Amino acid sequence: MLTRHLTRGLKTGAAGGLAFGLFVTLIGTPLVRYAESLKGGHSHSGGSAIVSDAVGSITSVAGGVVFGALLGTVVFGALFYLLEPALPGTLGTKSYVLGAGGFLTVSGAPWLLFPPQPPGVEAALATGVRLRWYLLLMVAGAFACGLSGYAYTRFRARGSRLPPALGAVVPICLLPVVAALGPANPVSGSVPLSLTSVFRTIVGVGQMGLWFVLASVHAWLLRRDRVGDIEGGDVDDSGRSALAGTPPSVFDP
Amino acid sequence: MTAVDDSVHDRLTDARIALTPTQLALAVTLLAALGFVLLFAQAPMLHDSMHDFRHAAGVVCH
Repeated sequence: MLTRHLTRGLKTGAAGGLAFGLFVTLIGTPLVRYAESLKGGHSHSGGSAIVSDAVGSITSVAGGVVFGALLGTVVFGALFYLLEPALPGTLGTKSYVLGAGGFLTVSGAPWLLFPPQPPGVEAALATGVRLRWYLLLMVAGAFACGLSGYAYTRFRARGSRLPPALGAVVPICLLPVVAALGPANPVSGSVPLSLTSVFRTIVGVGQMGLWFVLASVHAWLLRRDRVGDIEGGDVDDSGRSALAGTPPSVFDP
Repeated sequence: MTAVDDSVHDRLTDARIALTPTQLALAVTLLAALGFVLLFAQAPMLHDSMHDFRHAAGVVCH
């Protein structure tokens, strides 16, 4: 069962990596080059670049592919295997719930403190300090997502008077409070404000798109595997037990 | 959802049977290292190689 989950995660990661690699190639890199051309050089590596732009573009695309593959394997392979019984939702929606949590953890929460910046924007805080806060907010994001799912499930199971949605939303709303505790990071640079906002939108849509592709591919693979198992009489305890607890409406489109 | 004889605890137990602690530690370490190298490593060579990707992924602490 673990092997099947991990294989599914690898396939999911392959699709996500391909999608994000395309995003970096077609949108990310040209946008970064454009922002750099406005500023004329990106100096935070300390002057002269070691890697040329052409090589940097190729390695960056490879980085995007590996990043997508890594998220697919770790989040939709290993984590989904572990968390599936606890995730709220049905067979078709659990992947999306995990995907939303993944986005909040990896990108959403850290962005509350350090939103995406085009090259040319220099931060006042030292890299080490920013790195520590970035990782801290990732942990806070993961914790908030876990708490959100837990509260939702508990409120629903107990028939509590508080709506389950409230339990799901409140922990997420606490994330900006945590981010507000972080140090101020004034930025400087000659990049126009409009470019910065466009850049943020595109990067945000890119990350959400990556998670959406990952979750969709995973939901599709999961449904295909499990419905196939039931029809073919194959033995997969995970599929059978999950389907046993799922209302038949799940199979309707 | 109705009571299903499957929980996170069961999954954890199954994983413990399927994997040795060494395998698990190795996998976690390798994947975490890969993630760190991709997103945060500051060595000039790595920084320059991953520069465009990091901007495109919205990672600014680099």
